Amino acid sequence: MKSQIALCLFMSAFYVNAEVAVIVNASNGNSLDKSAISKIYLGKSKSYADGTKVKAVAQTGTSVAKAFTQNVVGKSNSQFKAYWSKLIFTGKGTPPNPLSNDQAVIDFVMNNPEGIGYIDSAKVTDKVKVVGKF
Amino acid sequence: MKKRLLAAVVSLACISLNVQAEIRINGFASIVAGQTLDDDTRLYGYDDDISYKNESMFALQLSSDLQDRLSATAQIVARGNKDFDAEFEWAYVSYQINDDLKVSGGKMRIPFYRYSDFLDVGYAYRWVRPPQSVYNFAFSTYEGLNLLHSTTLGDWDSTTQLIYGSFSGRVPSAAGATPEQVELNDLAGINWTISYDWFSARAAYIVAETTISASSVVGLTAALNGYGLNNQANSLLISEDDGAFFGLGFSIDYDNFLFDAEYTEIEVENSLLPDQTQYYASVGYRIDDWTVHLTYENNDDEHDSNRLNTVPASISGPNGTVIPVSLDPTNANSPLLRDVTNQVLLGAKQESSTVSVGARYDFHPSAALKVDLSRYNDDITDQDIDVLAVAIDLVF
Repeated sequence: MKSQIALCLFMSAFYVNAEVAVIVNASNGNSLDKSAISKIYLGKSKSYADGTKVKAVAQTGTSVAKAFTQNVVGKSNSQFKAYWSKLIFTGKGTPPNPLSNDQAVIDFVMNNPEGIGYIDSAKVTDKVKVVGKF
Repeated sequence: MKKRLLAAVVSLACISLNVQAEIRINGFASIVAGQTLDDDTRLYGYDDDISYKNESMFALQLSSDLQDRLSATAQIVARGNKDFDAEFEWAYVSYQINDDLKVSGGKMRIPFYRYSDFLDVGYAYRWVRPPQSVYNFAFSTYEGLNLLHSTTLGDWDSTTQLIYGSFSGRVPSAAGATPEQVELNDLAGINWTISYDWFSARAAYIVAETTISASSVVGLTAALNGYGLNNQANSLLISEDDGAFFGLGFSIDYDNFLFDAEYTEIEVENSLLPDQTQYYASVGYRIDDWTVHLTYENNDDEHDSNRLNTVPASISGPNGTVIPVSLDPTNANSPLLRDVTNQVLLGAKQESSTVSVGARYDFHPSAALKVDLSRYNDDITDQDIDVLAVAIDLVF
């Protein structure tokens, strides 16, 4: 039991330390801070500051996803899931489409001017624009 | 029932062919095993034999963005206590007027409580079931319209909802009793929720012209009418009476500390239904994937004392005769209708309190295991009933 707790603590520490880069299309001129990004991923804001509709993508089950929800949104995976299940099953919202890995997110953001996503900051390329690292 | 499900899938599929919309399928399920812990006790649909069915349920939600701003949603729910017969609990079409304003029409949930909208989505809260002293309405949906306004006020989010519609259906009145026909007309309500990061507060007010077949007083009201005491008879019947619901709630989710409380009042004027007040307060604490919680609930139903003794003991007949108002006027010992009526009104009194402790363990990204132990105390008879339940809640 003790070693399990130690492992949990170690793993949560590990996830918190992983750095996440939030990326948008290179043509996107809006600046976004942590709270603006968090609002997008909680479905509270649906447009960028210039009025363009947001197309957000997430990742499913990856350690980057875990780090993002923890560092940017400030919720654990299950809290984030519970939050969205409230919106989904009340017809009040649809969560950001989950993609399977960093490359899929980069491709999506590259091809969608309104796109926003998050990836492992080590995977950042110059084809997308980084709005923040967390 | 399967046919209806199939029809729904087919019709949604057809919609998708026509406008090439994408159908999203989400689902949630709860598998719950529970029982009361003492012989011959019943609570929350459980008795002293373990049941895997009573609170278990399975639901699918189909939703589709038909065209710009228009979407259709249907929720099909199969409940163990209804033999897993699939039923459409929700079916509505929404139109997003702008970023802030959405109008929906169809069959939807009546927004009585903070958790009303996702009452069945066990995964979304920490208990096996929301506190039943408050969450005690046997009906939960209506047909009509709903206008939802969401906006931000600085760092605060504000959501206002207006509803209008009606409900008609047979609902169980008490455990084991025959279901009564319930009609709610001109059902209208407003609720407002404000939230700021870790804090949220909500107020709701709903009114409806309420009619409920009250089979238990049919004989008594017929007898009262026989004496020409129509007012007294009508003040027992639940017939086109003004019903009102008021609810206040707030919740805190700060670091790992959770607190929820709700207070509700229900009144159906001029009927055998007593004035009801309920509340609960619940604290919880999160430790990694675990949440432990403790909840206190209270329910108090009572008629105002001015409702008693409105039936006269006797009325005057022809030629100055005095006729006793009793069940059988030819029998001098027959109980007076005044006493019978008082009995009915006094019998509606209920007082109870419930304490629950429980834990939730998020053992999987889409599933949680929960254990709740609840002790219900009838404050009038001082009888305790304990219920233990273990649940697995899933979303997919």
